[in-house]
Amino acid sequence: MRAFSAMLGTELKLSLRGMDMAIFGIGFPAVVTVILGIIFGEKPAFQGADYTFFEQSFGAVASIGICASGVMGLPLVLSDYRHKGILKRLKVTPVSPSVLLFVQVAVNFIYSVASLVLVYLISSLLYGFRIHGSLPGFLGSYLLVLVSVYSIGMMVSALSPDIKTANLLCCALYFPMLIFSGATLPYEVMPEALQKAADFLPLTQGIKLLKGTSLGLPLDNILIPIAAMAVISVVCTIVSVKFFKWD
Amino acid sequence: MEAVLTVQGLCKSYGRKQAVNNLNLRVQRREIFGLLGANGAGKSTSIECILNTKKYDRGDVRILGMDPRTERKAIFERVGVQFQEPRCQDKITVEEICEVTRSFYKNPADYKELLKSFGLSDKCRQMVSELSGGERQRLFVVLALIPDPELVFLDELTSGLDTKARRDVWKHLEKLKAKGLTIFLTSHYMDEVEELCDRILILKNGETIFQGTVADAVSQSPYDKLEDAYLWFTGEEDENESL
Repeated sequence: MRAFSAMLGTELKLSLRGMDMAIFGIGFPAVVTVILGIIFGEKPAFQGADYTFFEQSFGAVASIGICASGVMGLPLVLSDYRHKGILKRLKVTPVSPSVLLFVQVAVNFIYSVASLVLVYLISSLLYGFRIHGSLPGFLGSYLLVLVSVYSIGMMVSALSPDIKTANLLCCALYFPMLIFSGATLPYEVMPEALQKAADFLPLTQGIKLLKGTSLGLPLDNILIPIAAMAVISVVCTIVSVKFFKWD
Repeated sequence: MEAVLTVQGLCKSYGRKQAVNNLNLRVQRREIFGLLGANGAGKSTSIECILNTKKYDRGDVRILGMDPRTERKAIFERVGVQFQEPRCQDKITVEEICEVTRSFYKNPADYKELLKSFGLSDKCRQMVSELSGGERQRLFVVLALIPDPELVFLDELTSGLDTKARRDVWKHLEKLKAKGLTIFLTSHYMDEVEELCDRILILKNGETIFQGTVADAVSQSPYDKLEDAYLWFTGEEDENESL
């Protein structure tokens, strides 16, 4: 526990000195929020809808922070440490792989939450957003999405043999999730075929949950996505800790 | 005497190149053991195989009686390591890297004391990347000593240090040895080896060509200085004479 807290403090400081995550994890979702607000403002989601298009997008925008931190920030830091031989140096200390992994999870969790708070503040103060559905339901969905996306990020960071592979995997995960899951491009405006393909991305299901809970829409068939995300989280976490590569 | 480290029949090859062949050694408690050889002779590979940061092909390694492949945590609670040319996180300060390293161990040494005795106490708030080569080198020796180890591996411990700093490091290591520390080191400086090492092992192309005390090495050669004896053993003095 002492190792965890000492490392967390230092890694958080290092990450703040690096600035990357502050820009991509916090700045980027905030900018998207403002742009969506400027474009759609208080327009209804569709004719006769009792919530705005902006409110409909909130769940998706809130998940950008999860994506940026989970499949970019989280894997790239450890892959960089592996590349530099820092992990090799840590291998000859008693620190365990799970401490190294969960420290990065915690650092990125802080970014994610900061991003959620900022996106919420901008949305509610500037664009009159409010949660129509259940707040606990929304936060629960947010956590579930975060855990499943982070577990994927953890697996990439634990197993990538080199920084190139990590980069490639991160991009292969990050951009499709960001673009097609509805996090940046609204799911509602995609053609049906694309929607069907996007349904396979874990984040798409997560965003559906976030939308449903924030708008207070009836959620049917939610057990399957919840179960799928839970299984992904458990499997990826076990694989990461068990097969952690030091070099 | 109690063996702190035993290596039996260690072999490691990279493709067709045999990097280390049939390495056998025993290091006793409170001994300073030097692994010598030219660049590429297999010193770092041997250390990495011993520590299990590289997989070896054949052989058996016991550190404090334990197998490093299966008892990593228990071993490195009591063993410190300084690798050659180690790197660390960008933008980390001396104090931060010491604090983090300290947090890994149950009974760590006082790193402030160590920094002081290695002449680094005024560098606490400085970034590691801004240290001079010699300061970095000393910092990584400090990090290897933070576990308050029973055994420490130092790979080229004083490369890049000036004469005074080298003497200071030697003095400190002698002090720790008197308190019971066992040291496994590699070095290219024969004056250092003569000063510090109780026993040495010389590698050439992965083969052990000498193992014994410094005095044995000198007496088995036609010379009376370790540096000459070392070159004689490694066959490098011939090349020099023919030049």
